[in-house]
Amino acid sequence: MVTYIIRRLIGALLMLIIVSMVTFSIFFVVPRLAGATSEDFASRYMGRAASSEMISVTAEKLGFNDPIPVQYGRWISGVFVGSEFDTGAAIEQCPAPCFGYSFIKRQPVWPELVDRIPVTMSLAAGASVIWLLGGVSVGVLSALRRGSIFDRAAMSVALAGVSLPIFFTGIVSLVVFSYGLGITAPGGSFTPLQENPAQWAYNLLLPWITLAFLYAASYARLTRAGMLETMGEDYIRTARAKGMKESSVVVKHGLRAALTPILTIFGLDLGLLLGGAVLTESTFSLKGIGDYAVQAIVSNDLPKIMGVTMVAALFVVVASLIVDLLYAVVDPRVRLG
Amino acid sequence: MNKRSALAFAATGAALSLGLAACGGTSSSPTTPAGGGASGSGAPAAADAFNAGLEKVFNPSDKKGGILKMAISEDWDSVDPGDTYYGLSWNLIRIYGRSLVTYTPAPGAEGRKLAPDLAESLGEASDGGKTWTYKLRTGLKFEDGTPITSKDVKYAVLRSMDKETFVNGPTYFNDWLDLPKDFKSVYKTPDVNTDSAIETPDDQTIVFHLKKAYGGFDNFAALPGTIPIPKDKDTGVKYREHVIASGPYKFDKVEAGKRYTLVRNENWDPATDPIRKALPDGYEISLGVNADDLDNRILSGDLHIDLAGTGVQPAALGRVLSDPALKARSDNPTATRTWYTSIIGDVPPLDNVDCRKAIIYGADRVGLQNAYGGEFAGGDIATGLMPPTLGGWKKLDLYPTGTGDAAKAKEALTACGKPDGFETIMAYRADRPKEKATAESLQQSLAKVGIKLTLKGYPTGDYFSLYAGKPDFVKKNGIGLATNGWGADWNDGFGFMSQIVDSRTIRESGGNYNLSIKDKEIDAKIDEIFTKTEVAERDALWGEIDQRVMEQAYVLPGVWSKSVLVRPQGATNVFVTGAFDMYDYLNLGVQ
Amino acid sequence: MTAPLDAPGKPAEVPPEAVLAGSDAKAIQGRSLGQIAWMHLKRDKVALIGAGVVVLLILTAIFAPLIVSVFGHPPNEFHQEMIDTSTMTPKGGTGIGGEFLFGVEPVNGRDLFSRVIYGARISLLIAVLATFLSVVIGTVMGVVAGYFGGWVDTLISRAMDVFLAFPLLVFAMALVGVLGQFEQSLGVSGDTLRIGLLIFVIGFFNWPYIGRIIRGQTLSLREREFVDAARSLGARGPYILFREILPNLIAPILVYATLLIPTNVLFEAALSFLGVGIQAPTATWGGMLSQAVKFYNVPHFMFFPGMAIFITVLAFNLFGDGLRDALDPKSSR
Repeated sequence: MVTYIIRRLIGALLMLIIVSMVTFSIFFVVPRLAGATSEDFASRYMGRAASSEMISVTAEKLGFNDPIPVQYGRWISGVFVGSEFDTGAAIEQCPAPCFGYSFIKRQPVWPELVDRIPVTMSLAAGASVIWLLGGVSVGVLSALRRGSIFDRAAMSVALAGVSLPIFFTGIVSLVVFSYGLGITAPGGSFTPLQENPAQWAYNLLLPWITLAFLYAASYARLTRAGMLETMGEDYIRTARAKGMKESSVVVKHGLRAALTPILTIFGLDLGLLLGGAVLTESTFSLKGIGDYAVQAIVSNDLPKIMGVTMVAALFVVVASLIVDLLYAVVDPRVRLG
Repeated sequence: MNKRSALAFAATGAALSLGLAACGGTSSSPTTPAGGGASGSGAPAAADAFNAGLEKVFNPSDKKGGILKMAISEDWDSVDPGDTYYGLSWNLIRIYGRSLVTYTPAPGAEGRKLAPDLAESLGEASDGGKTWTYKLRTGLKFEDGTPITSKDVKYAVLRSMDKETFVNGPTYFNDWLDLPKDFKSVYKTPDVNTDSAIETPDDQTIVFHLKKAYGGFDNFAALPGTIPIPKDKDTGVKYREHVIASGPYKFDKVEAGKRYTLVRNENWDPATDPIRKALPDGYEISLGVNADDLDNRILSGDLHIDLAGTGVQPAALGRVLSDPALKARSDNPTATRTWYTSIIGDVPPLDNVDCRKAIIYGADRVGLQNAYGGEFAGGDIATGLMPPTLGGWKKLDLYPTGTGDAAKAKEALTACGKPDGFETIMAYRADRPKEKATAESLQQSLAKVGIKLTLKGYPTGDYFSLYAGKPDFVKKNGIGLATNGWGADWNDGFGFMSQIVDSRTIRESGGNYNLSIKDKEIDAKIDEIFTKTEVAERDALWGEIDQRVMEQAYVLPGVWSKSVLVRPQGATNVFVTGAFDMYDYLNLGVQ
Repeated sequence: MTAPLDAPGKPAEVPPEAVLAGSDAKAIQGRSLGQIAWMHLKRDKVALIGAGVVVLLILTAIFAPLIVSVFGHPPNEFHQEMIDTSTMTPKGGTGIGGEFLFGVEPVNGRDLFSRVIYGARISLLIAVLATFLSVVIGTVMGVVAGYFGGWVDTLISRAMDVFLAFPLLVFAMALVGVLGQFEQSLGVSGDTLRIGLLIFVIGFFNWPYIGRIIRGQTLSLREREFVDAARSLGARGPYILFREILPNLIAPILVYATLLIPTNVLFEAALSFLGVGIQAPTATWGGMLSQAVKFYNVPHFMFFPGMAIFITVLAFNLFGDGLRDALDPKSSR
């Protein structure tokens, strides 16, 4: 078990390093192939008054003239041991984990990201509770009453749900419920949980429901399919034959088996969401990781883009690591494979 | 350029402490009952009416107390006085910082007049306008109680010139002050003697030495760069986390990108400050608020001010203009800003003046006005580059301003040797819907005369540094047209035109705002302007330059910008200042 | 699991075994895949409706110029006479009428009907071609990994893991920006360049989803009796690959391709919504929605492109679900 965990941990770390290399080359190597010069990179950090002499000096100072592997090495070492940046007035420390230093905003990327994590986390946490409870229970009920009006209605709604883009449902619900009826909070509302839990929940209610609706739809379909399959298995028949109560059969045997793959997907979905619910955040003007990514891209702030991509990848890798490890605990066969 | 503030008319040399005494009298005595002869001159409260805050103070009052709530949908460059170039910031900064000179808090054109702030009076010129002397008032203190001296002003000005550290602010001091060659920045060369640029013979006196004479130096003295900064409290880029107040309010909480709260600065002495009323007990400024929500909250009275001051969003615009009650709550000021499209002569066939003219003739000028937001939110159709609020402006009537004149365009095309039209590329800022609409409109109207445009959107952040403002890129990519806009740093020909018509400001390395005007005749006129001492003569020359720009068809003017602002409910002393063409943030109060 | 849309994508939903059953059916009944699929599909009215709508959409996209010339105006043509110049909104609210079936856009009065119809072209073109790209890469990689196993399998599987760890939407956005700079070296520009870019970015990042499934299928097919039989008869690698394994992969490929198209429609819409898709003035559904957000006081502007996306995605989903069921007798409704 321990060796398995260690092996997976090393694997995850390697994966992150590869992700960082690929990301780095896309942003720092590909533009060069398209003809960008070191000065082009540097001029992004210079404001409006820069002379070409100042730009060259900055390009040198920021190390854009160094060989690419050296630049990458500097970046990656910053993540582990931190680094320093010369702002002109002083040498700014960027302590580990230093995911880069935004020269446009003149501050390290990591604290900014940390600042935004609560928003994305609140969004993901609330929505995931709703979609997991809602999606799974609808799925189970649908499977048990297969072919009933409820099943048909639920599955139709679910299919519609997975077919709607959130930037459409989000805006429509904002217009109707917030600006029209005034019963939910308008876009851009966020109160930290520790400040006022009731306000926190009220402000996030609409994004939660909108986001959860999409996921719930797909989870309902998944659960239903899984339940139909397990309920047809021999051991369910055996359990019934033994005279177990139907409710116990459903919960203890059917649901448990059907839920396992769903939990896997749940783990990965959550990991991806924590890395930034880009569309939800931009639709509801929430200042989370996803919004940060969009801002970084719009302003072409390379250190920010690198940082946010890495943090997002980190969430995915950690989520899949946790899922794998949980599997190993639940199902000993996994460790062999 | 969005960062460009729309600053005020330079009443160069004109001494004006007029009416300020009255203001000072009331604001400095908290016991005076409300309505007692403030800048509203005792006039009854203005009634709700369209444009009621444009020429008069709406709801004047001297009542103290309350918290003024402001919000903005984005963030601006910085609260650091040495690192900011947003008009809203120059307007707001005056609640916590005092520059040598500032703009009179008064409605309309009166608000463009300069008034001494830290200084006892406006600058005293000598040496033919090359040396400018200011005397500081006595009893000035920072928020920590230490006295403000001329050395703090000098330090702040020198500090703001470090463009490596403070990339955002204007560069006027860099360009004009007579600094020694070996001076790099206050951080790198702290020991270099800079007396050739700024002298501080005593704690109350500061003397500026320019490379060449400039009669409008008071406009420089009104820049936030002259707001004093104590050297021992300066933390470089991190100073923005705690700016030391010299004005009536100081920062209480600073959450970058989210929230600022300001409270009263007990060390600000009203006796030293004739122009500030300092009515509210504090300010609450929220950042990153959803833009539509922001409009709705102002309309419902939940919020006082949209700090951006550029007008309501399209959705609220529809509501405000179609509901008479809401329209009566709005103001529609004209800014000293022109939105235009540069016609770049480096790219054939636009090197031919007739081909350039064909573009202006063929353009649907009403369509361009609509693209910028229509007659209220967009502005008036511009007939020249220079906005009408500037001295020396004269109405040009070189081209029709209708929906496009196909016959004249064809004529021009024939004269240019391209009777069947030509193809070119038009650049715009991709994340600006109005500029996108402009490009789309031009594409449609020019297609009718045979000029085929290919549209290309570029990111706003790099638009001037890497794309449209980089000559090399423009030539290589054949960009013939590029939308942009410009607002005055202060309201005279120099403050508006100098950066966008002088071909010698163009740098090959990029970052240019002058995209298309490369004309020896214009350059010569600019040189001539600096030899003139009379304001009227200079103004007339700027007007001639404007005419030359249009004759040579270097730009296709879009609109002289206007905006639809909603007056706050529950706020007092509301008026649009001519200095920034948005509500004056200095003397607002809470009812 | 397809990250792009803040929502789970379809490919992960279907357990691979369910589709594999399609090949069972073939072995037992001896009918062609098409025959079986058609037999089941015929009975599935919902899927048939979906298929009908899909066909209709494709026809709409192909004949957009014709449709628009009869029922509308050129998609980029301005109709400013329809706009109130103070509020910039259509006169009378929407402008809907015989002249403009879906009303007009605010600001410039462009015909919303024409733009929605033309939007179908971009949307379907990109979604279908990107899907094709994913399927090709995914199949090749999946088959190679599954068939050869060993270090090849390890390498490809790890590569797929890396791809799955990327925050897709963010990455796609950034990549479109970076690759856009190649304009000159590629010698193409405008819509052609952007469409190519989007197809590449969307297609290139989605292949691992297909790849994983194909790899699993190949792994199990490799051990099947009929492959063993061929092998013992002296068949060589390429023969087994192309004659024995690939034909049996057609069913799952078809199903996943159909289910990937709607995901890609949403992906393209999302990119256009975020402003990195096709550039102005070309009409895209996502681009229209992003403009409509600012004019939420004129709801018809967001309604039509929003519904267009919804109907397209729903139709492909219905059809794909039906196809899967048709190829998998176990999961009857």
